[in-house]
Amino acid sequence: MRRLALGILLLLTHLCEAQFGSAVSFPNSSEKTVLDKSPEFFVLSWKQGTILNRSETPMEIVVDSVGAQKVNIFQDNSDAPVLYSSNIITPVCADGDCRLMHITLYWTLLGDYAGFDRSSEEPLTKHDHDEFLFSDYWKLHELLKDHNSILKRRAIDELVTKPKPSTIEGVDALSGATIKEVKESVVSGALYSCYVAWHLVHGDIKDQIKAFTVAQQTEGMLVRMLNNENINYQMYALENLTKNQYDTNFSRISKLFKSGIPLVRSFIIKNLAESFSKEPNKMQPFWDALPYIDINTRSLLLQHIDTASEATVTSISGQLSVLTKNQIRDFLSHLENKSQISSEILKNLRNFAGSNKEKNSYLVVQFLEDNS
Amino acid sequence: MKKLLIVTLLLFSSISLFAQDVLVEAESFDNPGGWLVDPQFVEQMGSPYLNAHGMGKPVKNASTKVNFNKSGSYHIWVRTMNWVPGEWEAPGKFQLKVNEAVLDTVLGTRSGWGWQYAGETKINKKNETHIELVDLTGFNGRCDAIYFSTKKTTPPSSPKKLAAWRQELAAEPNAPEELKTYDLVVVGGGLAGCAAAIAGAEQGLKVALIHDRPVLGGNASEEIRVHTEGIYGNFERILKKIDTKHYPNGSAESKLDQQKRDENVKSYDNIDLFLNWRAYDAISEENSVKYVDARQTFTGERKRFTAPYFVDSTGDGWIGFWAGAEFSYGRESVDTYGEYWEEHGELWSPKEADNAVMGSSVLWGSKDTDSPQSFPEVPWAMPVSKDYAEVNGEWQWEFSRNDLSQIDDAEEIRDHMLRAIYGSFSNAKKDEVNKNRKLEWVSYLVGKRESRRLVGDHIFTFNDAKEGREFPDGVVIEKRAVDVHYQTVLEDEKNPDFISEALFYRGPQYYIPYRSLYSKNISNLFMAGRNFSCSHAGLGGPRVMLTTGQMGAAVGYAASLCKKYEVMPREIYTGYLQEYLDLIEEQKYEKIPTSKK
Ligand SMILES: Cc1cc2nc3c(=O)[nH]c(=O)nc-3n(C[C@H](O)[C@H](O)[C@H](O)COP(=O)(O)OP(=O)(O)OC[C@H]3O[C@@H](n4cnc5c(N)ncnc54)[C@H](O)[C@@H]3O)c2cc1C
Repeated sequence: MRRLALGILLLLTHLCEAQFGSAVSFPNSSEKTVLDKSPEFFVLSWKQGTILNRSETPMEIVVDSVGAQKVNIFQDNSDAPVLYSSNIITPVCADGDCRLMHITLYWTLLGDYAGFDRSSEEPLTKHDHDEFLFSDYWKLHELLKDHNSILKRRAIDELVTKPKPSTIEGVDALSGATIKEVKESVVSGALYSCYVAWHLVHGDIKDQIKAFTVAQQTEGMLVRMLNNENINYQMYALENLTKNQYDTNFSRISKLFKSGIPLVRSFIIKNLAESFSKEPNKMQPFWDALPYIDINTRSLLLQHIDTASEATVTSISGQLSVLTKNQIRDFLSHLENKSQISSEILKNLRNFAGSNKEKNSYLVVQFLEDNS
Repeated sequence: MKKLLIVTLLLFSSISLFAQDVLVEAESFDNPGGWLVDPQFVEQMGSPYLNAHGMGKPVKNASTKVNFNKSGSYHIWVRTMNWVPGEWEAPGKFQLKVNEAVLDTVLGTRSGWGWQYAGETKINKKNETHIELVDLTGFNGRCDAIYFSTKKTTPPSSPKKLAAWRQELAAEPNAPEELKTYDLVVVGGGLAGCAAAIAGAEQGLKVALIHDRPVLGGNASEEIRVHTEGIYGNFERILKKIDTKHYPNGSAESKLDQQKRDENVKSYDNIDLFLNWRAYDAISEENSVKYVDARQTFTGERKRFTAPYFVDSTGDGWIGFWAGAEFSYGRESVDTYGEYWEEHGELWSPKEADNAVMGSSVLWGSKDTDSPQSFPEVPWAMPVSKDYAEVNGEWQWEFSRNDLSQIDDAEEIRDHMLRAIYGSFSNAKKDEVNKNRKLEWVSYLVGKRESRRLVGDHIFTFNDAKEGREFPDGVVIEKRAVDVHYQTVLEDEKNPDFISEALFYRGPQYYIPYRSLYSKNISNLFMAGRNFSCSHAGLGGPRVMLTTGQMGAAVGYAASLCKKYEVMPREIYTGYLQEYLDLIEEQKYEKIPTSKK
């Protein structure tokens, strides 16, 4: 079966050559050596006026029967690497029907999907040879953004027919709902193109790109990543900055603590707080963020309550409504271990205990009963 | 006899010479009507309770009769809670009917479990007093107990004081009166517990299987409806007696598998099945479990179980916990066992340890009918469901949060899921296409994936799975990919907090050693199921139910050898490994078990 497919492919490539001439070329963006505007479908932010220049890298993507396709790097005017890209031509075959797919793919410095440009002359097509609509490209973009897509863990033939329960493996289980998940995530009528594109983007090249970046990593690069909106850049920077560099970049880090996604916030508080918690003024921005951050991060932050200043503890005693039941419990047990509770804290506790709007007020009532 | 247990009458001479008190436990009502006995959270709130799980339609009254010793005027308190306090009508409202009169007070409106005053009534001791619970909403009103007293003193609310008060009222001695003796006591009748009981029984052990539900199977049961995944390994013959065919999760066909499972387990004469019995304590001496104490979930009757060997297959590692076994909870730091997986970084294994675990689920489903179906407004559910709309729930409906323990806060977790479900269904109903849709089934049992993990001689990790590491005592075999879940809200706060995502690792076939199936420090304790000895990421593969079933069967056979040589579980590894492996091999082909007598 495989053989047959390969045979068809080779034949097809041959035919293609006959049709297009041997150098299959991209008419528009593909040949670009300079990027002066963002790729059409793009996940990173693009500052107006940015101009990126292309250089070659030793990396390439080998596509069955078409051969090696170069992976290039785009750098800004100070030669800092920004983006990787490759013009891909690859056969897409379904039920013995093979076509060539043209697409320019982009990766971030860490090898994650960054976006794509379509080819205006060779648009992507669906099963019945209809051209992709804009909404189809958009859906493909959404699919490629999902590095954890169901396409990753299934062979193509598992996606088209419903597998039998005993022989498949699933998330707790594969089920009817999972088939629905496939349908929802791919462009209707273009499962194979989606599948091929997803595996190109998230294939081996990912690790190679990252390794290539890591080999050229500089402090400047890390700082740019920290300041970027891309979450993987933020995480990578946080993981790789040295302790001194944390201090220099403190203001950005404390801002990220308030505005970042929960995963980034919790990383900051779990891994970096140690170096800040000894200096109350450094910890202050973290405590100030208490009402704005997600519950998990708040729990992690409260683990540092023992190093918090009296003013912070007092301030938290006035914000009990934002805490969950178990967070209030933890806070109260911190108070219980103190030799003395200030009158201001007591006043705040009494206010909270007396409120009939607070579902957790009973905890403070009990606390006051036990500790008065 | 039952009556005696239902109603406890006591004269508190020390408090007041003439005070008369009667405590009626709701779970012991003669006729629960449409209310369900909910014993899931006994350790936290003190008792099984009645739950009006009507999915939005008020359930039939629960009723019982009580005999009083003394006529007079009685004050009445009901132990209850408002499970969603807030700026709306409490979802679980109900009233109390005493004889012909419905008391005015609307119950289920106080926040946190405790006593709500219901009013006063006249009782005539000559007539049986008839009590009913009148559900007003069908949205999980809860009643734990009803207390009648001629004195107006509110009973204690704090869990510790309440337990002592209850015990005093019931005048229960510390130890249960009845002692049962077995070769092997298995607690928890999920797939693991069932397989352990069968394997032990086939080898001639006299086995007690203590399980807190009316049906066997745990998450695989018709009550929770998860279907069994994984491979049979060495234990196909046994596991086929208890596995499921139904598919997908939530399928009503789980009923057929239920019948098969229950009948097969019951067919063993040397398994004594204690259904609706919940273990509440394990007593150990010199690092060895001596007894497990259990209570009937309806009547409150108690028994003590003794045996040379015990299996903890409760999922939550309760027996180990009570007996003082080492355990872990949450995620280890990535360096603890080197479980790094670059692709998913922190989501897979964190740089610093934390309390995160895979969450618990409540499965549910609806069906289309030929006529319009109404569904009530549920304002109290909206803060959780927001604008999420759905008509069925699958495995992704899962909730965990680092400040919530999957054990201690299980009721809050279950309730959060109920809000997510009712709110999402209510949102879906607003769409014209769902006009005829009816909420058909919502489990009230919380299906868990991860909580306490007891520590054994070997801690099974992701690396053991990833490398397909072979062990001399690798008795469990699995091929299914490893997957670990996380809450999607961690990546995007706009996501609902009750939806999870799975990260998959496709590795080779892997093995779990026998040394992960007995406690490191409690010498006669086996564990099988998700509470076996593993790391957080290590649980990612083996938590599925055929794998846990394999663990159960493996410990059942080990227990039989323990008995034969009068040794402890560890010694099977150090001294009798070959015989153990041979026994496992041999049993595969046993067509009619000789010991099935
Ligand atoms: C929604 C969901 C989907 C899942 N999908 C799958 C899937 O598709 N396939 C799959 O194989 N696995 C799946 N899993 C995982 C799997 O169901 C669990 O990991 C597995 O059931 C754990 O097995 P167990 O035997 O340890 O616990 P359980 O199945 O929970 O069994 C333990 C039993 O012990 C009882 N018990 C607890 N404490 C006591 C006590 N003190 N006294 C008496 N009895 C007690 C409990 O009532 C329970 O029934 C899923 C889980 C969930 C929640």
